Amino acid sequence: MTDTTAAEPTGGQTRDLSGARDMIVCEDVSKWYGDFQALDGVSATIKEQEVVVVLGPSGSGKSTWIRCINRLEIHQEGRIVVDDVELTNDLRNIEKVRSEVGMVFQQFNLFPHLNILDNVTLAPIWVRKKPRAEAEAQGMALLERVGIPEQAQKYPGQLSGGQQQRVAIARALAMEPRIMLFDEPTSALDPEMIKEVLDVMKTLALSGMTMMVVTHEMGFAKEVADRLIFMEGGQIVEQNTTELFFSNPTEERTKLFLSQIL
Amino acid sequence: MSELSSHTGNITVPYTPPPETPKLSPREWVKENLFSSPFNSALTVVTTIILLAVFRGFLSFIFNPVRQWDSTATNMQLFMTRAYPDEQYIRVWFCVAVLLTLTGVSMAVWQAGSTVPVAGLGRKLLATGALLALLALLAPFSASATVQWLAAALAVAAIGEAIRRFAGRGESERTVSSLTVLVVTLAGLVTSLWVVPYGHHSYIAKRVPRVLAEPGTVALTTKLPWTIMLLIVVAAYFAGRLMRNRLPTNPTRATLLMLWLLAPFFLTYLVLRDPDFDMGHVLSTDLPIFAAYAVGGAVLLSWLTRPSTGETGRVVAVLILVAGFCTFLTPMRQVVRLDMLLLATFALAAPTFAGGPRARRRYIFGWLGVLGVMSWLITSINTPSTVTVPGGFFIGGFSITLFIAFIALVISFPLGIALALARTSSMPIFRQLATGFIEVVRGIPLITVLIFFSIMVPLFLPRGMHLGEVAAVAIGYVLFSSAYLAENVRGGLQSITRGQHEAAEAVGMTTAQKTVFIVLPQALRVSIPPLVGHCIGVFKETSLLAIIGVFDILYIGRIVIPGQTEFMGSTRENVLFVSVIYWIFAYQMSKASQRLERRTGLGER
Repeated sequence: MTDTTAAEPTGGQTRDLSGARDMIVCEDVSKWYGDFQALDGVSATIKEQEVVVVLGPSGSGKSTWIRCINRLEIHQEGRIVVDDVELTNDLRNIEKVRSEVGMVFQQFNLFPHLNILDNVTLAPIWVRKKPRAEAEAQGMALLERVGIPEQAQKYPGQLSGGQQQRVAIARALAMEPRIMLFDEPTSALDPEMIKEVLDVMKTLALSGMTMMVVTHEMGFAKEVADRLIFMEGGQIVEQNTTELFFSNPTEERTKLFLSQIL
Repeated sequence: MSELSSHTGNITVPYTPPPETPKLSPREWVKENLFSSPFNSALTVVTTIILLAVFRGFLSFIFNPVRQWDSTATNMQLFMTRAYPDEQYIRVWFCVAVLLTLTGVSMAVWQAGSTVPVAGLGRKLLATGALLALLALLAPFSASATVQWLAAALAVAAIGEAIRRFAGRGESERTVSSLTVLVVTLAGLVTSLWVVPYGHHSYIAKRVPRVLAEPGTVALTTKLPWTIMLLIVVAAYFAGRLMRNRLPTNPTRATLLMLWLLAPFFLTYLVLRDPDFDMGHVLSTDLPIFAAYAVGGAVLLSWLTRPSTGETGRVVAVLILVAGFCTFLTPMRQVVRLDMLLLATFALAAPTFAGGPRARRRYIFGWLGVLGVMSWLITSINTPSTVTVPGGFFIGGFSITLFIAFIALVISFPLGIALALARTSSMPIFRQLATGFIEVVRGIPLITVLIFFSIMVPLFLPRGMHLGEVAAVAIGYVLFSSAYLAENVRGGLQSITRGQHEAAEAVGMTTAQKTVFIVLPQALRVSIPPLVGHCIGVFKETSLLAIIGVFDILYIGRIVIPGQTEFMGSTRENVLFVSVIYWIFAYQMSKASQRLERRTGLGER
C-alpha cells in the first residue's frame, strides 16, 4: 500500500483522515478478459469518508476496478475487502456488500417501466423490507435532496439526462449505503447538465460519504477529492493527495496525461 | 413540458402553430393517391376489376337460393354448447350473464371506448349505404330483390346524410361515445330477434311441431334472454362507473383481473358441470385437509417471512419441497400432494418476496386464497357431475373451444415463462432440461401430441384418479403451448440490456427479485406482439380437437349439421359461419393487443 501524506492539509477538502478506518481494501487485484489483462495487481485502501477520484485514459482498467468492488465484475486474483466483508463467491457476502455499496452508472440504467418514485423505493421495500409508506417518504426526501421532487410520478424516458442521473443517485442513496461508487457519471451528459449532477455529488461528498469516482471532470477532482489515483494498463501508476497530484506529479506518464487534459 | 421549461428560466417563447396540411377535395385525393402516374392508374383499374369479380363471386355464393342458411340459424344452440340439456340451459345463460357483467364492469373501470364525432359516424353510414347499393346492383338477385335491397341501401345512406347534416350545424363539433354507438347497434340486433323471423322460427313452424308443443324452453327462444343480457351489460357498465369513481383504482383492477381468471373455472365446474358433492365425505376428509394446510401453512409462512429468519428459512423451504416430492412415493390423496407442492412454492418464495408487516400479512392471505381455490378445483374435478350429457363431456361446441383455449393459455403462461427463464439461466441442469423439453415438443406436430395424450395420460394416472379425455387433451395443449410461449418470452428476455441487470444487482436485489421486478416486466412488454400471435394461434388450434373425436365448433359445422336429415350437405354454409366466429374472436384479441401495446407505451419509452 502506497500511503500518501494524508496528514498535510491538501486538496479540495482539507481534512485529516489518517485515523479513519479502512472502508475498501484492495490487495493485488488482477482480472483477465480472456487473454487480455484488464487489472494487474491493483492495491489501494480507501478510508471512511474519503473521496477518491480515479483518473486514466480509456481502457486503463478504472471502470473494471470500480465494478469489481461491488462484484459486478469478478476479480480472479487478489483480495477485495469492503467494510470488513471479503468478496468471495459466497452469495450472502455479495448481497451484503451490494446493499452497503451504492453505484451510479454512466448510462444511468434507471428502470424504464417504473416511475421515478418506484425506481427509488423498489430496493428499500424488497431488499431492506421497509414498509411502503416509510420507503416512499424517504424516497421523496431523497428526490427533494437531488432537486427533482416534482418529477416523482414521471417515467425515466420523460426526464432529461441530468435529471435521470440525479434519480440514479437518489436510487443508490435510498439503500442508505456507506460507500458510493460513480462510474463516469457525467460522460453521457450534455455539458450544461453535467453541472447539476456534479453539484449533487459535491453536496454528497461534503456530507461525509465515502466515495470513489471515475471521472474526467478535473474541476470536480480539484474541488472535492481527498486523493487522486492515476491508472494505466490495468495498474495504478500514481496516487497522491489532490494538491500534490496536480502541483507535483512524480511519474512521467502522469505529467503527460495532465498536460493533455488540462 | 412545463417543468422542463421552468428550468431554463422564465423566457416565454411565442407559440407558432405548424402550417396546416391543406385538406384535399375528394377529387384531388383520388387523383393524388390512385391515379398519380400511368402505372398507378393501371394498377388501380386492375385491382378494382379483380376486387369486384371476387366480391360478386362471394355474393352469388351467399345469396344463392340453394344455400341453407337456416341450417346455421337453427343449430345455433348446437354450435355453442352441443347437447347441453335444455332443462338445465338456464345455467348456460347464467354463465353468459356473469361473463357479460364482468365485461361491463371492466369496460367502465378500464375506461374503454372513445369519443367519436357524430359527423364521422354519418359519413360512415353514408358509405355503408353506398356499398349496399353497389352490392345490390352487383349481386345476382331477382329484380324485385334488387329493388328491395336498393331501397334499404338508400334508406341507410339517407339516415347517414341526415346525421351528418345535423352534426354539421352549430359551431362546436358534436361527439358521441363509441360505447353508445355499440349499445345502440346491439340493441338493434336484439330488437331484430323479436321482429325478424330468423331460421329457427320458420324451421320450427314448418318441420318440427314437436318443439312447438313445448315452446317454453329457454334455449329455443333466445330473444328474451338476449334482451336481459343486453340490459345486464348496460347495468354492469354503470355499476362499474360508480365503482371507478368511488373505489381506489388499483385494488379494483386487481380484483377484476382475479375474477376474470377465476370465472371460467368457477363457471365450468360449479355451474355447467354442477359437481355432485358428497357432503359427508367433503366434511370428513377434504375440509380437514384444507384446514390443516391453511393453519399449518399460515404459521410456517409467518415464521419464514420474518426478517430475522434468514438462511434457516430457505433450508426449511427446501425440506418441504423434498417432502412434497416424497408424497408421490406413498399412496395418498391427490390433494395432499398438490397442496404440499404448493406450500413448498410459497415457502421458497417467502423470504424473497415478503417485505414489511403489511406485505407479510398479504402474502399469508395470498396463500390462503390460492390454497382455497386449488383445493376446491381438485375436489370438483374428481367429483361426478349431476349434468348428464349424451356423448360424454358436459360442454361442447364453441364453449369447449373457449374452455380449452383459456385453460391452455392460463396454465401455459407461467409454465412458458418458467421454461424461458430456465433456458436462459446459468444453472446447467435447468437449462438443459428446458432446452430439451422445448426442442422435443417443438419437433412434434400438435396432432401427435394430442393423440398421444388422449390415449396415454389415463394410463399414467395414479389409481383412483379419473381425468376425462378432454382434461388429458388440455394437458397436451398446455405443454405444446408452453414450449412455443417459452421461445417468445426468451426473445424478450434477451432484449433486456446488461445495464438493467447490473443496476438491479447493484442495489442488492437477489436474482429472483431482479427477475420478477426488473427483467420480466420489461421482457413481457417487448414480447406482447408475438405473445398475442401465440394466443390467437392456440385459440385457432383448438379446432384440432375434432381429430380425436371431441365435438368442437368446427366438427359440428363440418360433420354434425350436414349430417342432419333436414340439412344434408350444408357443409359450406356452416364452415363459413364457423370461420366468421373464429375471425371475430381472433380479431378482438388482436385489437386488445394493440390497446395493451398503447397502454404500456411499447415503442415509446
